[in-house]
Amino acid sequence: MTLTPRLRKFALTAHVTSSVGWLGAIVGFLALAVAGLTSQDIQLVRASHLAMRLTAWYVIVPLSFASLLAGLVSALGTKWGLFRHYWVLFKLLINVFANIVLLMYMPTLDHFAGMAANATLSTGDLQMLRDPSAVIHASLALLLLLVATVLGLYKPRAVTPYGRRRMREDRTLSQPETQEE
Amino acid sequence: MAARPTQPDSKAGTDDNGTTPRWVKVFGIIALIVLLLFIIVLITRGSHGPGRHLRGGGSQTMSVALVEHPGPQS
Repeated sequence: MTLTPRLRKFALTAHVTSSVGWLGAIVGFLALAVAGLTSQDIQLVRASHLAMRLTAWYVIVPLSFASLLAGLVSALGTKWGLFRHYWVLFKLLINVFANIVLLMYMPTLDHFAGMAANATLSTGDLQMLRDPSAVIHASLALLLLLVATVLGLYKPRAVTPYGRRRMREDRTLSQPETQEE
Repeated sequence: MAARPTQPDSKAGTDDNGTTPRWVKVFGIIALIVLLLFIIVLITRGSHGPGRHLRGGGSQTMSVALVEHPGPQS
């Protein structure tokens, strides 16, 4: 199915907006995670975990799914296709992988935020709140999303075997008279 | 300034002899390594939930929160 130009632009705008928003949200999340890891101020550590949970559930998760959905529509609704070009394929893999890891990490964020919300914290709880996992996850997510952004902007030329086959078929269908002669 | 393509170039990659570009091989190898590391972490350290990230486990009894950060003095 090929989208009309207007729908194609709408899907592309939604994809770019949500993807760049996702990237920006990860940068903000990383700032909170670094503050939670390094600050000596206990209230700041607690606040950072509460803010990280809110940011993740209400900004990062919706944007990541919007990016995936709009990307799928943009790819399937145009001649780029989903599996024809390597850069599209790699972006799809990055997006799906990042979404899976994000969803798998959410219970951890909920757990830490629940601990941070407690009126009193034991020294063990405080030690656990200074866990580097949020910084590690956010840094890796930032790296992945930067790679995806670069791929989307530069669109390096390389067609998959499936894409080559489809292009040959398209050429054959578009020039039937020439082949019959 | 060259405009970015909004549609695929019909000639892109169609006149080659089926060889895979170097950047694709590099990306593929990196993707495989990342995927393998992810699977190894999942297998060796269990699920990716809270238990995966928590160190130690038991809470110690000393309460620190409100002691270490007293409210503003009146």
